[in-house]
Amino acid sequence: MPILKNQQREECVGKYKRMKKIPTEFWMVLPALIVLVVITVFPFIYTVQLSFKHYPYIQVQSHIRRVEWVGLDNWIRMLTDPKVGRYWIVTLKYVLGALSCEIALGIAAALLLNRIRIFQDLLTTLSLSPMFFAPVLVGLLGRYMLHDSYGVYSYFAHQLGLFENISIFGDGRTALLALIALDIWEWTPLVTIIVLAGLKSLPREPFEAVSIDGANAWQRLWYLTLPMLKPVLLVALIIRTMDILRYFVKFLITTRGGPADATKIVAIAVYDQAFQAWRMGYAATLTLSMLIVTIVLGIVFVRFFAGMGQE
Amino acid sequence: MKISRLQRKEQKAFHGYSLTDFLAKVGLTIILGVFLFWWLFPVYWMISSAFKVDVSMFTLPPTWIFKPDLSNFRNLFATKGFSSYVVNSVIVALSSTTIAVILGSLAGYGLARGKIRGKNHIAFWMISTRMAPIVGMMLPLYILFGRFRLVGTLRALILAYTTFNLPFAVWLMRGFFLEIPRDVEEAALVDGCTKLQTFFHIALPLAKPGLVAMAALCFMFAWNDYAFAVIFTSGKTQTLPVACQRLMTEYGIVWGQVMTTGIILVAPVLFLGIVIRKYLVRGLTMGAIR
Amino acid sequence: MKLRKKILLLTVTVLCISFLAGAIYAMTEEEKWTQFEGKGITLNFLTEDTPAAGAILDLLPVFAKKTGIKVNVTRTNVGDLVTKLMLELGSGSSEIDIIYAARWQIPPAYSSVLVDVTRFNNDPTLPHIPMDDFFKPHLISTSYFVDKRRQIGVPHDASTLIWFYRKDIFDKYKKAFMAEKGYDWTPGPNLNWEQYKEIAQWINDNVSEVKYGAGHMAKQWNSLYCDFSNVFWAWGARGFENPNTESWGVIFPGRCLWDSPEAIEAAKFYKDLINNVAHPSCPSWDWSDLAEAFAKGDEIAMSFNWHDFVVTFEDPARSKVPGKVGVALAPKGKDGKSHNYYSGAALAINSYVPEDHQRAAWLFLVWQASIPVQKAIFKKGSTPVRKSAYQDPEVRQWIAEKRYPGAGIADVMYEAWKPENLEYVEAKMPMFVETLIIQYTELAYMLQGLKTPEQAMKDIVDQVNQATGWTDLQEKLKQ
Repeated sequence: MPILKNQQREECVGKYKRMKKIPTEFWMVLPALIVLVVITVFPFIYTVQLSFKHYPYIQVQSHIRRVEWVGLDNWIRMLTDPKVGRYWIVTLKYVLGALSCEIALGIAAALLLNRIRIFQDLLTTLSLSPMFFAPVLVGLLGRYMLHDSYGVYSYFAHQLGLFENISIFGDGRTALLALIALDIWEWTPLVTIIVLAGLKSLPREPFEAVSIDGANAWQRLWYLTLPMLKPVLLVALIIRTMDILRYFVKFLITTRGGPADATKIVAIAVYDQAFQAWRMGYAATLTLSMLIVTIVLGIVFVRFFAGMGQE
Repeated sequence: MKISRLQRKEQKAFHGYSLTDFLAKVGLTIILGVFLFWWLFPVYWMISSAFKVDVSMFTLPPTWIFKPDLSNFRNLFATKGFSSYVVNSVIVALSSTTIAVILGSLAGYGLARGKIRGKNHIAFWMISTRMAPIVGMMLPLYILFGRFRLVGTLRALILAYTTFNLPFAVWLMRGFFLEIPRDVEEAALVDGCTKLQTFFHIALPLAKPGLVAMAALCFMFAWNDYAFAVIFTSGKTQTLPVACQRLMTEYGIVWGQVMTTGIILVAPVLFLGIVIRKYLVRGLTMGAIR
Repeated sequence: MKLRKKILLLTVTVLCISFLAGAIYAMTEEEKWTQFEGKGITLNFLTEDTPAAGAILDLLPVFAKKTGIKVNVTRTNVGDLVTKLMLELGSGSSEIDIIYAARWQIPPAYSSVLVDVTRFNNDPTLPHIPMDDFFKPHLISTSYFVDKRRQIGVPHDASTLIWFYRKDIFDKYKKAFMAEKGYDWTPGPNLNWEQYKEIAQWINDNVSEVKYGAGHMAKQWNSLYCDFSNVFWAWGARGFENPNTESWGVIFPGRCLWDSPEAIEAAKFYKDLINNVAHPSCPSWDWSDLAEAFAKGDEIAMSFNWHDFVVTFEDPARSKVPGKVGVALAPKGKDGKSHNYYSGAALAINSYVPEDHQRAAWLFLVWQASIPVQKAIFKKGSTPVRKSAYQDPEVRQWIAEKRYPGAGIADVMYEAWKPENLEYVEAKMPMFVETLIIQYTELAYMLQGLKTPEQAMKDIVDQVNQATGWTDLQEKLKQ
């Protein structure tokens, strides 16, 4: 009897020791983990299985269509539908156009703000204003200020002789440009502030050394500042890429997919398919494709910048 | 004393007293002015339009000097239930931010410091949840919330916002904590503090700029959201962005009230941004290297 | 004698009993309305933001007082309304009791989930609505889907695209136009669409008060479809093979007929109208933008828009043209009739809610269709759906005086809703919205010049047949 008791005691102690080995940090992570799993895993699984169904989300009445497993039909449709190709091209144009300008202008603005000595704080905060605008408001303001008849920006453009007979949101060529411009307006400040903070944390020595060697401002910028900003730029790029694909409210408020799909980014297509046409299965497929693209882009950026940072 | 060419160059580099430098400075200031004008003009336009009466809002050329009219504001506050929009927005934004801050900083610290198997995978998974397209989550979340009879309540909205605020918080806080050198914490541990105590009394204060910046951004994302709000709220639980969009009535967009609602929508976040501006700039990039 | 007495006694007793029973169980009109008093029932009503909803909202305290039932109203825009309703009804939720059954999406998909109100209407313990007092086309198109015996709602509003024009301009230049073109250009169904285009072009060239003659809601959205429909039907084109598609509704519409010669002609005309004659901003305008442009006073002289907009046009705070707005039926089509796109909807009851809520909801439906409430809709700037409201002496007075904007156009609308003028609505079928998206997208491509009308129509037919399942059916039949 005493031997068994010892054995039992040892087992208990062993278990306790093992539990003690679970680091406190794990318990710290657990609540967030549980919450996220609950509210994201179910939607994800639901979306995945939905993408294999033809599910019109109609309760009865579906004499033609029943909820059925159609296997890869939705995926095949998505990959062969020329319209989907067009949506992705529009999305690509939008993302590239907006991101490139945001990064370029953001760096430029940050460099400028960095040089200002008086009121730098205040000016920085003021220049952050667009970032705080809700996308709904940006869409509405954009619609107001770019309105062909009474928009103040359109007025100035007409005075300069531009867009005289072109309706900004009514012409395929200009509608997407207008939305890119709205996005640039709203989010360049975010890039600016991230780059500005990065600039402030750059060490002075390399700059001093280089200027003694005779480098001018441009050379300093190109060969020293920018490479050292790479990690910071990566952060900005990732934050923006994550959001730019997801945010579609501006589009809903202004063009809803635009003249002849000129501004129909994939997110709008998902919205239409899911909440207008009620082809939930197909919408789920499109959603998953968006998710895949975002994740791939994220990985690509990290690898790309990590690789270049070796220099 | 004769100054060598090299020394003179040094002087120029550090003091910038030459003419070209001066011109460059003026030029750059002008460019910065253009930037600021571009960013701030719509803000000014929105505010000034709020004081114009509907019909005069559409006159061109635009009127720069005019008699301000408060009728848009009067109409706005006379709207039944307007205060509930504001209250709802505040509740939802604050609650979701609080959840994100508490759970996010705990998890961020745990992932930064803890010896957990696969912690990088967990971290990556958490961030990837923020990449989920909102439009794709609307239906599954609606079904999920419907089962628990949460549709139309603010709780549903708070939970929905947690789907993007919490991963964001975890990601940022993890970055911040990775930045902070471990020495102080290790010293504290050696002195006999528990890990939690180290977290509260040492790590968290050191990460304060990042924490503040992250909280402000979480608040902003929750405050500004429209897509989830329109699906999960109804009637009494609607938030400000939904109120804004509702001004796009079938009978025309009530522009005057759009401007006033816009001011109310932007002002708190702008104010928040100004108050914490020191932290915003530093805090956002604390974790930049990661 | 005894037998006859017995029979007499029996008969009298039976009569007495039934009389007593009738007296006990027959409810007075008053009681029908107050039967829910004190039961603390609250109904949730989800509706689009319309003037009719506005009128009802104002009068809600009256309803609460009359019946003891509280009603919570949520007003939203049509897009979000549909999304919420589809999520509600599709998930079997019983949150919303009374719904605005947006005609395109709700009855075709969810008619089986909406309560058949015929049994409430015939129930002696509930108040009754004379259904034939509604305009027949409204009733059929909003309150029935496929099954002619099942009435799923009560007509509620009746937005219709009507021809708005600037009376002042048309009066001022009437002689000049007649001198040049040879006919009286006063808008109305005596003109045809080619003449409409001619008028618009003439205004472009000769009238200085406005920039362009015509404006259209050609935004790539529902607005484009609605606007094009007027032209489409005017050319004699029909949407689908199955003749019930555009009235009672169908599950299977048959082959899409948008590539018929008439449809292509209509498309060509529309393209010419929008690209060459109408205001260049048309492809960015939905009905709100169009109304704004018309109200601005210097952009366009004519527009086809929802008749409810008359209240905006006559409001001096929101428009520069009060008092100058005229209204007419659309130009006549190739069949000699004037087609004005109708977009009304019914109020329906969610069958997932408990029985007492359903009955209480029926009370609400009857109340909102009652003549006093219908008359109040005039005051809110729109027009009622009950025919007898138009004959009411007080209303006739309002119409004569044009006291309310809605009253000013009441006669024209009454005309527009007569069965001979309102023959068709859009296709009522479960996959309507999917086909709608296809149709307005392709039309937008056509308007942007990326596709010819023939190509656009052909693509529409191909995709729509795919969506309705006609293509699959053909393939199965071939096997």
